[in-house]
Amino acid sequence: MSMPELSYREAVRDALSQAMRQDEDVFIMGEDIAEMGGSMGVTQGMLDEFGPERVRNTPISEMAIVGSGIGAAMQGMRPVVEVMYEDFLTISMEQIVNQAAKHRYMSGGQLKVPLTIRTQGGAGWSPGAQHAQQVEAWFVGVPGLKVVFASTPGDVRGLLWSAIYDDNPVVFFEHRTLYGLKEEVAEEIEPIPIGQARVHRQGEDVTVVATGRLVHESLAAAEEAEQQGVSVEVVDPRTLQPLDEEAIVASVKKTNRCVVAHEAVTRMGFGAEVAAVVQHQAFDWLDAPVERVGAKFTPLPFAPVMEEYVIPHAKDVLAAIQKTVQRDGAS
Amino acid sequence: MANEVKLPRLGQGMESGTIIKWLKAEGDQVEKGEPLYELDTDKVTQEVEAEASGVLLKITVAEGEADVGTTIAVIGEQGEDVSAIEGDVAQPVAEVAEEEGSPGAQREPERERGREATASEQITEIREPAQGNGAGARIKASPLARRIARERGIELGSLKGTGPEGRVVAEDVERAADGAPAQPSAPAPAPPGEVERVPLTSVRRTIARRLTEAWQAPAFQIAMSADMTRAQELHDRLAERVKEGEAKPTVTDILTKACAAALMRHRAVNALWAEDAIELHPNANVGIAVAIESGLVVPVIHQAERLAIAELAAARADIVTRARDNKLRQEDLDGGTFTISNLGMFGVEQFVAVLNPPQAAILAVGAIEAKAVPTETGFESRPLMTLTLTCDHRSLDGATAADFLRTVKAFLEEPGLML
Amino acid sequence: MAKVEQRRGVSDETLREFFREMLLIRRFEEKVEERFRAGELPGFLHVAIGQEAVAVGVCRALADGDVIASTHRAHGHTLAKGTHPNELMAELYGKVEGCSHGYGGSMHLYDVERGNLGANAVVGGGLPAIVGAALAFKFRGEPRVAVAFFGDGATNIGTFHESLNLAQLWQVPAVFVCEDNHWAESTPESQHSPIRDLTKRAEAFGMKSMKVDGQDVEEVNKVAARALKHARDGKGPIFLLCETERLVGHYIGDPQVYRDKDELHRLEETADPLELLREKLGLSDTEYETLDREVQELVDASVEFAKNGTDPNPEDALKNVYA
Repeated sequence: MSMPELSYREAVRDALSQAMRQDEDVFIMGEDIAEMGGSMGVTQGMLDEFGPERVRNTPISEMAIVGSGIGAAMQGMRPVVEVMYEDFLTISMEQIVNQAAKHRYMSGGQLKVPLTIRTQGGAGWSPGAQHAQQVEAWFVGVPGLKVVFASTPGDVRGLLWSAIYDDNPVVFFEHRTLYGLKEEVAEEIEPIPIGQARVHRQGEDVTVVATGRLVHESLAAAEEAEQQGVSVEVVDPRTLQPLDEEAIVASVKKTNRCVVAHEAVTRMGFGAEVAAVVQHQAFDWLDAPVERVGAKFTPLPFAPVMEEYVIPHAKDVLAAIQKTVQRDGAS
Repeated sequence: MANEVKLPRLGQGMESGTIIKWLKAEGDQVEKGEPLYELDTDKVTQEVEAEASGVLLKITVAEGEADVGTTIAVIGEQGEDVSAIEGDVAQPVAEVAEEEGSPGAQREPERERGREATASEQITEIREPAQGNGAGARIKASPLARRIARERGIELGSLKGTGPEGRVVAEDVERAADGAPAQPSAPAPAPPGEVERVPLTSVRRTIARRLTEAWQAPAFQIAMSADMTRAQELHDRLAERVKEGEAKPTVTDILTKACAAALMRHRAVNALWAEDAIELHPNANVGIAVAIESGLVVPVIHQAERLAIAELAAARADIVTRARDNKLRQEDLDGGTFTISNLGMFGVEQFVAVLNPPQAAILAVGAIEAKAVPTETGFESRPLMTLTLTCDHRSLDGATAADFLRTVKAFLEEPGLML
Repeated sequence: MAKVEQRRGVSDETLREFFREMLLIRRFEEKVEERFRAGELPGFLHVAIGQEAVAVGVCRALADGDVIASTHRAHGHTLAKGTHPNELMAELYGKVEGCSHGYGGSMHLYDVERGNLGANAVVGGGLPAIVGAALAFKFRGEPRVAVAFFGDGATNIGTFHESLNLAQLWQVPAVFVCEDNHWAESTPESQHSPIRDLTKRAEAFGMKSMKVDGQDVEEVNKVAARALKHARDGKGPIFLLCETERLVGHYIGDPQVYRDKDELHRLEETADPLELLREKLGLSDTEYETLDREVQELVDASVEFAKNGTDPNPEDALKNVYA
């Protein structure tokens, strides 16, 4: 059986296209997604296949892009809107947080908002402070929203499918530096349940919970750690809200040590929530404090030398792993 | 036209305020915006400004509390007749709300309901009565290490930590459990020469409070030794009969049974001091002092006199486990009428326990040690255990206490007497 | 789908119905003020006294299947769109029988079955969704129109501009009803808008606008009908400017220290839409009193209904977060 190889970018396109082929209610809108095929090339070719009504370019109006998506979703369609850079979610925050997340609740259950908001971000190419933030943590704390952040082609395809067909508003984060990542995927789309973590690598000594680009950095760090005799388990939650607490806690109960890693700034990043969950549910299993790996507490600098200093890499994950197993006294 | 000065609603929920003093007198000229009087609400004392200019013709409420909306003064033109305007007439309905929105005063009962519903999810504080010494200075150990130490009965303080900053980690405990005897090591890692100041936890605070309370009682102690030969034989026989999964009876269980039986014979000892009376209780609710991480706790086995040894063992195993896992409930700690404290497993030969108020007595038990006992033919080695009973002299006299202790000793030396 | 009839003029009978509707809204709002002062209604309350003609005139021009989104001053729109006073009052009292089942309150009134997509506490918050609803109607080829209510204050916020721009660009069947009551809370129009004629704002987006005296319910109804037809016929969205008056404060108990009291009195005398219609119809005192009694009974009954309603269980707060 042939296993096609898809890049992360193509995987996103595949999920969107297949959904739109079989379901008239699905349509996409965003800035520059039509002729240009999206600033990241994700929607290339889709205008030709689906036409300008269903592959809609929009003006630069993040409030209206998200808001009109909300309106169409409330009428039973399944729009997938794109916010070009996740930094610009800030502009549509009001519509996402005050409107989309709350219509169902405030109406006492009368409405559903099956809207998917796709966005992307990622540093490492000198985009500057306003085009490289990782803001997923802001949305995790908003009741009514679901937050997804996939790190591989197979995962992003299966999860985007599930997000489109979830009846709740989903903020769907993609990572820019992963768009070119290729992987063999199944012929048919395998929907991945929202709220299900994935263990990328089994290990005995330390659990690393990582998202986005840091999943891959953590896998590299795990290889290195293995050489040093430390066996590392790498878990990707894939969905940040709802969080697969069971899987994460089970892993930590097995290894007794935990590191959380994400590209976002450490302070108030998603790792803080994971650390809190872990220390609460696996308190008596922890042999070391939970270590957090993230960007340093600065806006992202432009100069490459400074940018690389600020964002986390595999070696930072390795250092954190080592901290959890280190000893001062002789055994 | 005269302008009535009414007591304003200065904040959400404000129903009334207290006029502290008037800053202007009747007959004074007043400008709009000038401070007119001082008002005390729940939250703050502040100056209230005049809303109109004119002459302060009349102060209808000089001082004291007034409802929001009440006319407290009149400002108008010199010579105007304002005799008709009364003070102290509270308006039935509030004049104006100064702020947008309101919690709705009538809806407070529902808000209370909502608050109650979430309050019931919270854990109530566990009372932890004092007993003996607590642990020493704080030991740095990971939660996992602590748990393993607890489960295996290993003293953390005796371990040397190999984790960062000398933290005891799981491996350190496991190593100790695997065979190395507890090291008589120096206490853990305070840097040499420095005084380490350990702040009180709430548990220690409670222990301190109760200990101090107990110290007020006029206490006396009487001591006896019991020959534990027959008790040990009984224990061994019972241990053989224990099935898979059942709690193994210990000598402490036999002791508990002996005390419970003795308490039923000497009801005066199964008593609580109640300031103006002595309460004699119908059941022997025997508390067992258990050393835990944060100090000491005394869970109670209720109606111990009714339980067979096997049942006592099961009950004891349950509360000790739950005590160590911090899962005791309030009902486990309430209702005790007598306490047993056993430091035998720590090698203590004999000690005096501190009363557990308001209980009349507490029994301190030491290790069973082989001692030479004179017999007709010479000396024999017998397993002896010291029993030291501390009593509250307000509830008990020496003779009563001695009778009781003699019965306990008799039951231990010949368990058949309990039948 | 029902065809909307072209109205040449509005019959007297219909105008009487309009009057009754408006009076119902008026008495309802007065009762709300009273109950708020008695401490029975928690939270925010903004009543629509003075603006009844816009609510009734527009809503009575809608067809089945048309949808509305409202503002924080939503009671009038909600009643005019067909929600029963019982359900509205019950919602204000926070009862399960309320139209939002106690989850929303005065600023989050929803009645989706009747096409009410929700009141909104955020100024301009509901406009983009109306564009989206209209887009969905267009996608599906449905002869339905989406209507947004908002005030003059909202014409300054980003969502207003983005929504009008997008709606006009995509030619969706939407009508943007601006209730220009010349106040944004305590700020007079002269202090919040550099232009006086708000239709210019629609013009900036190339959108057709219509303007009407918002205190004349007959005019509102006729012009609204035209606006709806325009949108429904696929000719594009309309900006419908209704010049109206807010005869009360921004919120219940607002002492309106910022407002000229003489001017307010003058408006109460001359610009009350109920009085204007009463005169136009030439209602006799008896007719008026009969209608008033009927309407008052409904309102009183709604308070009874609400007070006897069911309180939600505290744990119900955990429901309806996710679909």
